[in-house]
Amino acid sequence: MSSCGNWFLKSLFDVLILPCGRSHISPVPFSLDQAAPPRTERMAVDQDWSSVYPTAASFKPASVPLPIRMGYPVKRGVPPSKEGNLELIKIPNFLHLTPPAIKKHCAALKDFCTEWPSALDSDEKCEQHFPIEVETVDYVSSGTSIRNPKARVVTLRVKLSNLNLDDHAKKKLIKLVGERYCQETDVLTITTDRCPLRRQNYDYGMHLLTVLYHESWKTEKWESEKSEEDMEEYIWENSQSQKNALDTLLRIKASENVSNVTKEELLASEVVKNYRNSVIALKNEGETESNISQYKESVKKLLNIQA
Amino acid sequence: SSQLPLSNFLPFLCSYEPETLYKRLSILVKGHDKAVLDSYEYFAVLAAKELGISVEKVDKPPKTIERFTLLKSVHIYKKHRVQYEMRTHYMCLELKYLTSSTAAVYLEYVQRNLPEGVAMEVKKTKIEKIPEHIQKPVWDTLPQVEETEVKS
Repeated sequence: MSSCGNWFLKSLFDVLILPCGRSHISPVPFSLDQAAPPRTERMAVDQDWSSVYPTAASFKPASVPLPIRMGYPVKRGVPPSKEGNLELIKIPNFLHLTPPAIKKHCAALKDFCTEWPSALDSDEKCEQHFPIEVETVDYVSSGTSIRNPKARVVTLRVKLSNLNLDDHAKKKLIKLVGERYCQETDVLTITTDRCPLRRQNYDYGMHLLTVLYHESWKTEKWESEKSEEDMEEYIWENSQSQKNALDTLLRIKASENVSNVTKEELLASEVVKNYRNSVIALKNEGETESNISQYKESVKKLLNIQA
Repeated sequence: SSQLPLSNFLPFLCSYEPETLYKRLSILVKGHDKAVLDSYEYFAVLAAKELGISVEKVDKPPKTIERFTLLKSVHIYKKHRVQYEMRTHYMCLELKYLTSSTAAVYLEYVQRNLPEGVAMEVKKTKIEKIPEHIQKPVWDTLPQVEETEVKS
């Protein structure tokens, strides 16, 4: 059978003589015994590489004119050459993304891009004109499904100083949101993921922000029952410290037999004001060197002690 | 090059969406092979530069290795185990100040050329104005509603 095949192949060099008498078929220029020389031998040095590898394709040793060797070498040998090298085929190659090809692609894509407004060249300006930040995450991976359940999470961030809030509204809002507000950066963060779609989560987040804003402007009847424990910062008026200070001063004045000085006069006096400021600073900002020395001075002036 | 830019025909070719602004685009790429990620980083940075997008920084967080130990044999031989590990390399690209069209173009280009076996997470930070309904409290404008007694 093989001898018959060899005879057939050899006869291809000659003109095929068919029974019907057609002899105009020209002889095949190559023989099927030997493979054609690889394309690399016919490649010019200055050819257009992006037409050899226009899209992502596996490594073809006959199309890449580089003497690449890859793989673990046998003992006292070299890494295997590129012909029939599975390691080179397995690894993703970037032959279709050479710098000239990237530049060509980007030149074609540039038409579809729009310019960033030149007025917003710093973060502060963006913050000033566009205070709300909406953060979403997209996931791309290979697998049986392109969906990722984490993609529906939406995070809204806004600085409270950019919202139109008065003092009471701001304090009420901070109390309403609790952990979602950061004191140092004055940023309210709302993370929503309770809806199945991202658009729904975004709408829910904006709805939450709207409701919080409007509710904080309302004053309920029971808010008047706000006690000293609920206060966010220390207020000196009507506090134990004020009562003690006034009490002490009144008793000092009584013992010196000075004519009755009223509470308002005492409150308006310089020494009491100093004492008030130092106590407020101590309570709100914590104990620092300057705070404590300021308190010491004010107490000395209040009680008229010359140390 | 075309006489008329393609952007002229965009309103007819695709649905119109209002142009939004992205303050930051953070692209995290994960893969098992560091060489592939390095090549991809070169490609992504060059593409960003060619499209006129400012690259804030390129961060390379350290790799994580997940290892687990299994029994070597199907039955008994508890003392002979085999260990496997999965190495995940990361590369984080941060881009600043993109419009939604530019972001869409860049992300589509970069995601279509994502190599096999590489995953990507894109964190987009969109900036918006405060909507109309949060500008002022609504209680002044609403008509006065008589407070009904809450029946407990």
